[in-house]
Order: sequence, then C-alpha cells, then structure tokens
Amino acid sequence: MSDDIGQKKGLTRRGFLKSAGGVAAVAGMAAGGVAVGARDGLAAAGSMPKKWDQGYDVVVIGTGFAGLAAAIEAKNAGASVVVIDKMPVHGGNSIINGGDFCAPGTRLQKAAGVQDSPDLMYKDMMKAGLYLNNPELARILADNAGGALEWCEDYVGAKFTRLNFHGGHSVKRANQTVNASGSELVNKMLAKAKGLGVEVKTRTKMERMIANKDGRVVGVEVKTGYRYPDEKTGKTAYIKAGKAVILTSGGFSNDITLRQIQDPRLTEKFGSTNQPGATGEALLAACMAGAMDVQMDWIQLGPWTSPDEKGFGHVPLFCERLVGYGPMIDPATGKRFFKETGNRKERADAIILIGHPVIIMGDSYAVPKQVFPRALEKGLENGAIKKFDSLEALAKNYNIPLEAFQKEISRWNSFVEKKKDDDFGCMIFPEARPTVTPPFYAARLWPKVHHTMGGLVIDKNAQVFGFNLKPLKGLYAAGEVTGGIHGAVRLGGVAMADCIVFGRIAGKNAAKETAWG
Amino acid sequence: MTRKHGNIRFSPGWLFAAALAFGVLLVYIGTPYAAPKQVASAKAGDCAACHGQEKVFSPSHPDTKAMSYKDCLGCHAKGGPQMLQGKLPGSHLHQLRGVTCEKCHGKVAKPEAVEEKLCRTCHNAEKLVEKTAKVKPENPHTSPHYGTSLDCTLCHRQHAKSENYCNQCHKFNFVVP
Ligand SMILES: Cc1cc2nc3c(=O)[nH]c(=O)nc-3n(C[C@H](O)[C@H](O)[C@H](O)COP(=O)(O)OP(=O)(O)OC[C@H]3O[C@@H](n4cnc5c(N)ncnc54)[C@H](O)[C@@H]3O)c2cc1C
Repeated sequence: MSDDIGQKKGLTRRGFLKSAGGVAAVAGMAAGGVAVGARDGLAAAGSMPKKWDQGYDVVVIGTGFAGLAAAIEAKNAGASVVVIDKMPVHGGNSIINGGDFCAPGTRLQKAAGVQDSPDLMYKDMMKAGLYLNNPELARILADNAGGALEWCEDYVGAKFTRLNFHGGHSVKRANQTVNASGSELVNKMLAKAKGLGVEVKTRTKMERMIANKDGRVVGVEVKTGYRYPDEKTGKTAYIKAGKAVILTSGGFSNDITLRQIQDPRLTEKFGSTNQPGATGEALLAACMAGAMDVQMDWIQLGPWTSPDEKGFGHVPLFCERLVGYGPMIDPATGKRFFKETGNRKERADAIILIGHPVIIMGDSYAVPKQVFPRALEKGLENGAIKKFDSLEALAKNYNIPLEAFQKEISRWNSFVEKKKDDDFGCMIFPEARPTVTPPFYAARLWPKVHHTMGGLVIDKNAQVFGFNLKPLKGLYAAGEVTGGIHGAVRLGGVAMADCIVFGRIAGKNAAKETAWG
Repeated sequence: MTRKHGNIRFSPGWLFAAALAFGVLLVYIGTPYAAPKQVASAKAGDCAACHGQEKVFSPSHPDTKAMSYKDCLGCHAKGGPQMLQGKLPGSHLHQLRGVTCEKCHGKVAKPEAVEEKLCRTCHNAEKLVEKTAKVKPENPHTSPHYGTSLDCTLCHRQHAKSENYCNQCHKFNFVVP
C-alpha cells in the first residue's frame, strides 16, 4: 500500500535526472542577462576592490554548526579566522534546531543495546535519498559521524543525553542534546571559537564573492552594520581572504522566490520551519563566481509540523516521538493512511495528496514516556496539542466518523500487540503498547518547508566545484548550503552530522591553502 | 492659464504665493509626521519642545508640561490597562524617569548611536530574567536558543517603534516597552 503513494505521478518529483546549472542560469539573469559559463561567471563576480578594509587567512560566512566547526578547525591549524553573519543573532537554523545528531555506534546506543554501524547508516541514507546521493560524500559522512559526535562531546563540551528514533532510519541513532536544542552545541562552539581567538561579526552580510583574474576566490564584499531585513542599511566593506573563503550560509527554505523556481508547488502558502534569514543570496553569489550547484529542486517538507502554530513549533517533537507508538489518522475517513515511520518525503507527499491536515495521536502510556515534557506542556498551552478524556471526545473535536475510527484504533492495537503492521509496514517499537489509556493526546499535521538538500557541489575535501569541472580555487563549503550528500531525502538528525563532519574538513583544508598574495 | 475650483478662480501668481507660504510654514513647524526635533534640554513633559504643534495627545489629555513620571502613573499605572510601556518610545520613558539624552549619548553636539553594552550598565541581564520569570507564555529575557546573550536593541528601540523579535518564528503576545 505504501508503494502506491510513491508511484502516484503527481507526487513524484520531476524525474530523477537533474541538470546542474539551473541556479547559475538564474544568477546570470540577475546579473543583467550575462550568460554564465565558468569565465563569464567570474566576470559577473566583478572586479577586485581598490583596497581591502580587513584581511584574514580564512573568512567564514555563517555562524551555524558548519561555520563554527570550520572556524575552530581553521584556527587550530594556525589560520587567522573571521566568521560573519548577516543576522543580528548568531546560530542560523542550527540554534533553533532540535538537537538530534545521528551517528552510529555511539555511547548512548551501546547503553541502550542498539546494534549499529557506519555501513547501516550509509545504507539508510542512500535508500532514503533514492540513491541520488553522492556516494563518496555520503560514505565520508557515515564513516566520520561517530568521531564528529565525540569531538562535540569531548572537545567542545556539549552534552548529549537521550537516544531518539527518526523516520527512515533502521535503528535509533539520534543522539539528542541535553536541552533538546542545537543551541547546546552552537553556544559551546561559539564560546570555544571566541576563546581560541576567532573573530565573530554579526550584522555583516556577504554581498559578493570576489575572484581575481585567474578565477581564484580572494575575498568577499560585505555590508557591515546591516540591519536585517532592510537592504538599505549597512556600509560596503571588502574582506580579504588570504587563503580561502568558507561558505556555510545554510539552506534557502525561506527564500520563496528561489524555492519556487526550483519547485513551483512551494508557494508562499507553505510556511517554513526555518529562521527568516534562511535565503539563498550567498549561494547565488558563489554561483556567480563560478561555483556549480546540484539537485536544487529536492526541497524537503517536514511532515510533522502543525498548521495550528507558527514556525517549527512544538508539534514536531510530539509527533516524531510518537511514531511507532501511536497511529496517524485521516480525519475525513477515520483511518490510517500511511506508514508512520516512513521517511519525511513519503509522509509529506502522502499528507499533501490527502489535501487537508491529518492527525497524530497517542495515549497516556506513550505520550509521557516518549514526549519531552516541555514540548508537551508548551504545545498544550498554545493549543496545537489537545488532550481528550475519551476517543469519542477526540473524534468529535476533529470531526472524525466515530465508528470507522474506533474500528481502526482496534486494528492498530492488534498490530501493536503482535508488533507487526499488516497495513502499512510501520515499525512498531518493542516497548509500544496498544493505544487504550485515557487521556488521549492529538495534534493536527500539515507540512512546512524544512530543508534544502541541493546546493553547491563539493568534493571530498569540501572544496567547491566549478562550472569548468575543476575545483574552484579558494572556495570551500559545508553544511546545508552544499548539495548532493543527502540526495532526495535528508534523514532526520543527519544534518548535524553533515555540518560537523564537512565543516571540520573545510576548516582544516582552508587553513592548508597557500596564500595568494 | 487659470484653474477653476468651485466658484473661486486662482491665478498662477496667487497659487505660487500660497505654495510658498505653505512651504515656509512647513519648514517652520514641520509636517505633523516629520521626525520630531531632538532637543536635549527639553523637559520630559514638554512635548511641544520637540514635537512642535503636532498633536501627540487626545484633546482631553491634561497638560503634561509640568509633570513628572510619578504624575503620569496616577492614571498610567504600570501593569494596568493604560500603562505607558509599549506605547511610548523607550527614549521617552527614559527621559520621564530622569535618564536624559546626555546620560547615554554624552554632552555632544551630534549624538551618535550608543553601544548596547551601555544598556547593561543599568539593566542587569540576570535581574531582568528574574523580573520577568512569570511572563506568559515564555520569559522574554532568556531563551532556550540564546540564553541572555541577545542585544537589548533587538526588541527595545529608543527612537523607533519597539519590536517583538521572537515573533519572527513564534507567537508570543509580549508588551515590548
Ligand atoms: C527547526 C529546525 C529543527 C531542526 N532539527 C534538526 C535536528 O534535530 N537534527 C538535525 O540533524 N538537523 C535538524 N535541522 C536541520 C539543521 O538544523 C540545519 O540543516 C543546520 O542547522 C544547517 O546548519 P548550517 O551551519 O549549514 O547553516 P545555519 O545554521 O542555517 O547557518 C547559516 C548562517 O549563515 C547566515 N547567512 C546566510 N546568508 C548570509 C549572507 N549572505 N551573509 C552572511 N551570513 C549569511 C545565516 O544568517 C545563518 O546564520 C533542523 C532545522 C530546523 C529549521
């Protein structure tokens, strides 16, 4: 049954063969209709400044996981480093994230008796990614995620205390920060970086990537004192990057123009879980300097967001802890409609196909056991999560046909008893129990734009690849601004691993570059 | 050419003179919505010193020229329905409570934007967290993301409308002074 969904034509993406260069074409238009080949791209990147206002060996753009990991490693390798961010606050999406870090063979997995390996993680990533992932990069990620997590714990000092499951993984492998937020890691990385002597400047927006006549990236044009989102603010300045620029500017989920060019369904009608500054101008600036983009139209919708609260909200933390413990119901029919533990794309597409919000629910055994108390409390407070004394009351609230619903719950409960879902193949966890104990909790689900899998092409050294099919000298990138690692679907908790693994690689290699002058 | 407007005929000369007079008037008092003058020596309650003829109060509001902040509180008790917090720009609240322009900007001919550190010399972050601990749905002075590290000026503006920065992603009904 679940296979049906994937085969519906309207749902699958526009073929699997993606042509690189879509964004660069757009970038070319923005630059006044210049055709952007490798050479013209460099021309579009514009001329060298008469004078540099500041200079560092390594200039990092973005203060999220990837940028801070890169900055720390570059600094430790002896480079002088500055990290800039256009927002008045640091941390990008990283600091509002849920703190789930996927890695195989971790301390928390061992304590919970979970068998895992880099091979299994790699297989899960490739399968969810429809095998569109760049296999070399995916392999590096899976092989180094464990070491990256240890670095975050032992070197940075961040605490990870809970093991979680995310849809699409074959085992529990998300190691969650102590406060269920990426802030635990970002803030400790920021303190570490500053302690090492890395300079951090917020309200500094990268406007243009500067390349010299040989096409080597040599610095950036910025606006200092920029007041997001007022484009009239800020003063132009030029920062020289003696060795390299590292672009870690995150994804573009909140860039309605760019995301709609890539996936026309994603109009302003879809909300986003991202910070408001998650836009694509820095990525486009790199393209204008000759960097190649890939798989830009694989844009992920989160299937666990609620239409009853703003942004990411609390419902995702409720929903994701309940899958495999409680059923997801279409209120129009009273029936289940999809594998609750399916990956994000499968589930979001299934909900969009239904065309109206669906419901995730759990009982008073599953909810207190699984859901982070604060998320539950806050979700109940803002009304996105609701509590009901009986199944009847729940059905009435969401206008669910009662009889069909009761029958479906009994059916689900029978699957839970035998730990096997005959209808959709949902993974049912060993500790799961039938949904029978009142009060019951429920929330509505409607997808929001969450992650952009596409972005700049990088190689195994995190060096950006150019339209001339050669590494682009002087430019490295890591994190969500890069593309191809996750293919069609970025699995939950794998972004953190991606950012730390490739951020560190980028930082080390950038510091090793020979200075250009 | 003359223009007909109702029964009255305006000659170009007349129009020009009228426009000139209006222009001079504008320069003199400022338009009702022009930025107010920032007169450092103005008494806190003397609205006209900066705002000129601009009507900043409803006609029934008592004259404030001789008033101090304490006098305002008679009607505008803090926490009450009429409170000034969130209504008046921060600089006015400061001014009313004796924190004059000079106290932040110094005695200078052309005041410049001050560093945020200066705010923290009076407003201790930890104390603020305690003070607003009971505000619902969240304490505005600490966050799971940024702790107490954020710039005061992200929300609290002195010379412009304050803003609820959290509301970019959340929906918190804070009153932001
Ligand atoms: C709500 C939410 C929850 C999530 N939960 C998880 C989770 O639990 N586990 C997981 O693995 N992943 C999660 N993700 C995904 C993950 O957090 C992101 O993919 C990751 O944080 C991206 O990190 P980054 O360093 O690449 O970019 P970011 O952290 O987004 O940082 C990029 C920075 O670059 C800055 N920038 C952009 N353009 C410019 C410019 N022109 N000039 C200067 N600066 C610029 C931005 O302002 C931003 O601060 C979540 C995402 C969201 C939104």
